[in-house]
Amino acid sequence: MSFDIFLCGVGGQGLVLLTSVIGNACVKAGKRAITGEMYGLSQRSGTVFVHMRVGDDAYSPLIPYGAADVIIALEGMEALRYVEFLKKGGIILMNKRLMHPPIETSKLLKDKQAKYITIDEIVSKLKEWTPNVAVVDGLSIAKESGNLNAENTVFLGCISVLKDFPLEEKFIRESISQVVPEKSIEQNLKAFELGRKSAYDSLCKLVSCKQV
Amino acid sequence: MVLRDVVANEKRNAFMLCNEAIVRGALESDVKVVAFYPGAPTSEVLDTFNDAVGSFDYHMEIATNEKVALEICAGASFAGIRSLTAMKSVGTNVASDALFVLGYTGVRGGLVLVMADDPHAHSSQSEQDGRFFAPNAYIPMLEPSTAQEAKDMVKRAFEISERHRVPVIVRTVTRVNHQSGIVRLDGIDRKEFRRVKWRELNEEFTTLGEGARQKKLKMLKRAEELATEFESSEFNYVRDAPSDFGIITSSVSYLYVLEALKILGLESKAKVLKLGTTYPLPKNLIRTFIKGLAKVLIVEELSPYLEREVYALAKDTNPAVTIYGKWSGTFSEAWEYNPNLVVKGIAAALGMSAPDYDSIVDDAKKLKVALPDRYPTFCAGCPHRGTWAALSQALKNKPHYFSNDIGCYSMWIYPPISHADSSLCMGASVGVANGLSNVIEERVVAVVGDSTFYHAAIPAIMNAVHNGNKFTLIILDNSVTAMTGQQPNFSTDFTAGWRQGKKVSIENICRAIGIEFVEIVDSYDAKKNIDVFKRALDFDGLSIVISRRECALYGDRNKRRKGEAIIPFYIDTEQCKKAYVCMRDFYCPCYSIDETDKKPRIAQEQCDGCSVCSKLCPFVAVKRTEVKP
Ligand SMILES: Cc1ncc(C[n+]2csc(CCOP(=O)(O)OP(=O)(O)O)c2C)c(N)n1
Repeated sequence: MSFDIFLCGVGGQGLVLLTSVIGNACVKAGKRAITGEMYGLSQRSGTVFVHMRVGDDAYSPLIPYGAADVIIALEGMEALRYVEFLKKGGIILMNKRLMHPPIETSKLLKDKQAKYITIDEIVSKLKEWTPNVAVVDGLSIAKESGNLNAENTVFLGCISVLKDFPLEEKFIRESISQVVPEKSIEQNLKAFELGRKSAYDSLCKLVSCKQV
Repeated sequence: MVLRDVVANEKRNAFMLCNEAIVRGALESDVKVVAFYPGAPTSEVLDTFNDAVGSFDYHMEIATNEKVALEICAGASFAGIRSLTAMKSVGTNVASDALFVLGYTGVRGGLVLVMADDPHAHSSQSEQDGRFFAPNAYIPMLEPSTAQEAKDMVKRAFEISERHRVPVIVRTVTRVNHQSGIVRLDGIDRKEFRRVKWRELNEEFTTLGEGARQKKLKMLKRAEELATEFESSEFNYVRDAPSDFGIITSSVSYLYVLEALKILGLESKAKVLKLGTTYPLPKNLIRTFIKGLAKVLIVEELSPYLEREVYALAKDTNPAVTIYGKWSGTFSEAWEYNPNLVVKGIAAALGMSAPDYDSIVDDAKKLKVALPDRYPTFCAGCPHRGTWAALSQALKNKPHYFSNDIGCYSMWIYPPISHADSSLCMGASVGVANGLSNVIEERVVAVVGDSTFYHAAIPAIMNAVHNGNKFTLIILDNSVTAMTGQQPNFSTDFTAGWRQGKKVSIENICRAIGIEFVEIVDSYDAKKNIDVFKRALDFDGLSIVISRRECALYGDRNKRRKGEAIIPFYIDTEQCKKAYVCMRDFYCPCYSIDETDKKPRIAQEQCDGCSVCSKLCPFVAVKRTEVKP
């Protein structure tokens, strides 16, 4: 059985790097991996996503609907945008951060009653799909690591503790050290560690995790 | 992207984007000349070669357009040098004039053309099916499904090209180019680059009249030889099963078929013929495959290219076989496929039930009612936003036709701006403006980017000069080809491999061909530029405004390299009188409204410090931060 992760976010949040780190760790672990990545037009504050599949029987670069084990959303709204890919009862790990697109803001300008969508509304919708929704304050954890751009690695830290996550921690650490730019290796390793820690406080109360 | 893996002279596994695997395959084949014009989904082939220049001795050019890129490769190949180009499907339209004759003249050194179709028009203006170029031009074509296969095929393509002295197309689709996977690296064994003595080669590459007629005969013979060779190609294979149901497929659809068979529990209950050489097709292999079948399903995206052939072959081989595909209504010619669609198609052909994917999607849709759309938009600091701020003011109360083109500024056609009367293909904004300017009452305004100007707009501009056509052309010069990933072009100080390059002056070209109204503005001077645009619109003749300011993403990269800080702006809420001029028609992604005081806010971590919004505010409430937070 393959382990299928649907990664999503907004252009510029480092999804491609995150994909490289996981993929490179798969090489070290001797695992098969295949992805379907969508960027290009979408790098301009548009939505971006990567289907990341680990395992011998993952043939298609796209995850079938209702089959992903995990959705990682580096921006909160994007978790909801792609929820059809998640299996019922799957895991959603989403950023607390919302980046309101200009089209939403322009509605608020036109209509004084209009309001921004909130993280609570999103979470309550997602809970109709799965009870396993964990909200992560990616930006402040990244800040703590000393690198605002390390939100992606924080999330990698979070999912790496899942019981079913198919890659050993040491392979991910090695991969981070090889893939991220030299000057930010230390910060990313720290972000990874902080992500792991935070998962034991939240995510692991919902789903089973690896023993510490 | 992990460049280390692409350039490592090691034999091991690596995780790679297919486009990187294509580069790796070419390097392992000792390619010596590469030339490109960027275009999704192949741009990373260019980018990877661009980054790897320092490690090897190949010559690389980022060319004016795809036709020039292919001709550069042809030139090298005539001299016996291996060359490669990659382009998006619509790029092949531009290159096709050269491509068709190369089928006649042939080549000497291996020439590989990677052509990427874009089913679903993810980042293209059409869903055109480029496969038809191959039979039309008698040029062999290979189609990979995975990154590993793409690398293998590129290597084999060089050999085929040299053996049969013909360019070889490696045809991909977006879901192959933008697929990563585990790729086996072979060693890189490169010979030193040496100039060739042309006179010693004793070659000619001409075709015309009687010469073309003779070469046509040779070309037909070559196609026959290729067909024979491809019958036993390792890229075509059968996954056998004790069944009278078979599937014929290629490209990424093969992977969807494998996934679908797994989902349906049919892995050992359907035969599969995977085709890797899709021109010329291995007809005997297909005949043998369909011989004993009761049903055959063709799974391919876009046009019924394979399906047509299967119908033709079945007529003699197995007229009783029922063929499922597009003509049976099982699959559509529109849009890309995915595992779910293929599950449905296989189930329909077999008359069995499939998982109810529609209800999954419907359930999800219900949850998304309040979810705002997120269209691609201009980046924070994008000069096109500044240009639009002024241009939209100048166009107010001025009846006009807006002729848009292909580049980041294409996004003016998306909400919330939604402004364009037409947008076709690169350079067409100017060609169309020529036509319209003589038949409509309103003023025609056309826009092109710098890269598009060089690529395809110059002939249409000269046409306007010569014929006295009157319209306004705005040239959006942001120094790079931004849309496809900020590659250098002739308006950049750099060229391939970030070597110093000579800029080709847009204004000098415009003036030299006799245009009287040529003005240059800074895209960030949103207020000042309104008047310039107004004068250009009122000018009785062809008027050109060059709106110049480097792409924000490219500028940020330069700043980071030089160690310069990006200093964001903020809203001084004391000063703010809620005029919303900074954001109403400006749509910067940094902006949001505070729901308590209803005043604008700027996300500090997103702001690029471009200053344009601050110039729009009549109350000077948008201010630059003193120190970087
Ligand atoms: C024939 C062809 N080749 C390549 C492309 C891919 N493409 C889309 S936009 C673009 C270039 C845009 O550059 P420019 O006009 O300078 O505008 P910018 O994106 O920099 O604003 C390219 C190459 C295409 N659409 N058609």
